[in-house]
Amino acid sequence: MKRALVAAAASAASLALLAFVAATFGHSPLLVLRTLFEGSIGSSFAIEGTLTKSVPLLLTGLSVVIAFRAGAWNIGAEGQFIAGAIAALLASRFGNVAAILAAAIAGAAWASIASLMRLWRNAPEVLTTILLNFIAIHLLGWCVNGPLREASGQYPQSDPASSSLPAIGSVYVGVPLSIVIAVAMWWLLYRTTEGLRLRATGFNAGAARYAGINTGWQLFRAMAISGAVAGIGGAFELLGVTHRLFERFAAGYGYSGIAVALLGQLHPLANIASALFFAALTTGAGELQRSAGISSAIATLGQAMAILVVIAVSWRRRNA
Amino acid sequence: MGPTTRAMLSLRGITKSFGATRAADDVTFSVGSGEIVGLIGENGAGKTTLMRIVAGEMAADSGEIVAPPRIGMVHQHFALVSHFSIAENLALASERDFRFVSSHRLEREAETTIRESGIDLPDVSRRASDLSVGERAKLELIKAVTSDPELLILDEPTSVLTPIECAGLFRLMRRLAASGTTIVFISHKIPEVMEVAERLVVMRRGEVVADTSAPGLTADEIAETMVGGVDAGFSRQRESKPRTPAPPLLAIVGVAGNGQRELAETLRGANTAFIPEDRANALIAEMTIAENIALRNGRRGARERAERLIESYRIKATGPGQLAGTLSGGNQQKVVLARELDRRPKLLIASEPTRGLDIEATRFVHEQLRRAADDGAEVLLITSDLGEAFKLADAIQVIYRGKLSPRMSREEAATRVAKLMAGIA
Repeated sequence: MKRALVAAAASAASLALLAFVAATFGHSPLLVLRTLFEGSIGSSFAIEGTLTKSVPLLLTGLSVVIAFRAGAWNIGAEGQFIAGAIAALLASRFGNVAAILAAAIAGAAWASIASLMRLWRNAPEVLTTILLNFIAIHLLGWCVNGPLREASGQYPQSDPASSSLPAIGSVYVGVPLSIVIAVAMWWLLYRTTEGLRLRATGFNAGAARYAGINTGWQLFRAMAISGAVAGIGGAFELLGVTHRLFERFAAGYGYSGIAVALLGQLHPLANIASALFFAALTTGAGELQRSAGISSAIATLGQAMAILVVIAVSWRRRNA
Repeated sequence: MGPTTRAMLSLRGITKSFGATRAADDVTFSVGSGEIVGLIGENGAGKTTLMRIVAGEMAADSGEIVAPPRIGMVHQHFALVSHFSIAENLALASERDFRFVSSHRLEREAETTIRESGIDLPDVSRRASDLSVGERAKLELIKAVTSDPELLILDEPTSVLTPIECAGLFRLMRRLAASGTTIVFISHKIPEVMEVAERLVVMRRGEVVADTSAPGLTADEIAETMVGGVDAGFSRQRESKPRTPAPPLLAIVGVAGNGQRELAETLRGANTAFIPEDRANALIAEMTIAENIALRNGRRGARERAERLIESYRIKATGPGQLAGTLSGGNQQKVVLARELDRRPKLLIASEPTRGLDIEATRFVHEQLRRAADDGAEVLLITSDLGEAFKLADAIQVIYRGKLSPRMSREEAATRVAKLMAGIA
């Protein structure tokens, strides 16, 4: 509960800081905040935009969470997201289920490169996952300029995927599905013995080993799930939102996922709230740019501030 | 020189509480210069807390302290940089300001320092993480002694040392005391405290219950003041019950760092019950008792199982939901023991299972190990505590430089162990 308060306070503080920054640049802070609210949750159209935006943020956030719980920092959600999306595009001719499955496998495989290097050569996964991001980004660039370029050859983008995710009402099915994944991850982590062992590995791998846990296997599996979840994020974004692949497809979702996970206190359920908050910030900032001409980079600023507040507060607690 | 009448350390009315527990309750005593004082008491009696207050690591709630400026404290839990070599760890402890270092020079200086300390610790280029627990303890001691402290506090320093090493430590303590260093020696092994200390201060539940000069009291009497008259008499209990012919409880004894750790690691399979020497990593501090037990046995019925084990292993806890990290050392060890034995293992490896535990907890652990052996488990007790080995084991083997001696009966071992441990046999 206390940690939920910290997160809520950090979110509020980040909004206050945003208003303050707006004021120092000569904008009315009240107007900025109002536009942010209206642009993100002020109308059913805005709410749909926020919900849609929350899907990749939530899934990349969850990807960071499960790896962290097993003691690994997966900075590679971006690359796994892309790997998933490419696989989903290729498999989409066999339908949505096949596409999502392929994305999960591709994401898991991409993450497993890092975890295997960690297990075999003790290569730090923070480095390898970042480097794998670069490879994935350039792989995507090559794909959309080369073999996967649209038939007309006009833009560096792929043809639309052969299948697309249906909508429930006016919201595409990725929204409820991503929440289902969050709940499933919570259940796995906190309601199963394997989850207990996974978390034990993250808390204290030495002690976990003494308790007879195969910590290498735990780490490997957590990283695979982590990559799979990010990959599914890529599939959802492709099949439900963009329908095509292009170079800036991932748009930094993998990195934003780290912020989502941190604000969500690295807990799967809290991640739903933090993903929604960051999604709202992003859609609100879009509105701010359209109506007030204020750069939407302000959303990134808001993210950064929320994270800094969270870190500052938890740091204080640890030293208290 | 010898002891003078000047008080080096004086405490008046020191009180410190953690929540509802009083770790120190109106403690008053003083120690003269060059005196060796044994501070004894059970786990949780408040010895370490009191000395941490003296060392300035912790503030008292109330009371007055007069302490010298240079205090060296050797903790039961080590403060070494595990990626640094012995030489580098010693360089960190020295009080010199900025200077250029080369590993060659650091190692030479470290060798000199170690020689002067009178403690034996070869090959200073080894990393702290590669040292055995016994060697780490020695390194800590060397660190504390190099700063030439006026007051030296040793928290359970002998728990990882062999008899020969203990004797060396005691010689060193006497030498330091003779040159004016005041020493407070925290322990719960009464005989060894009586061997070296001129005076004993006994603590129980945060209070000083006896403060006297050693020769006046027998070990039994002091033990009684320590536990407060409760004496379940493990040895008597055992003799009253006729022992069934049991599969052997085998003890592997040896000076720390002769390959015990490697032996334990090699023998440990995924399903072996294991009580690690490395106490800090025995349990997941951030998880509850129930969760720690569930790591082995699964979540199903974990709470009930934890409740039952807390009861039957007499673990002092508020319940299965208490975080393992908030338990006292003895109770943490009981949780490990409960978890490992509850599976009725075929093989149990216990590495230094009673190191740092008080009389009660030690007795309990011994009882449980014996019972596991009597119930049909093979128990391998790896220990540097000879008393423990001779008390419990059906057979004894000595490990020296990674090699095991032939298996011996207790009677045979009695005459040969010391030589085998020293590598002269």
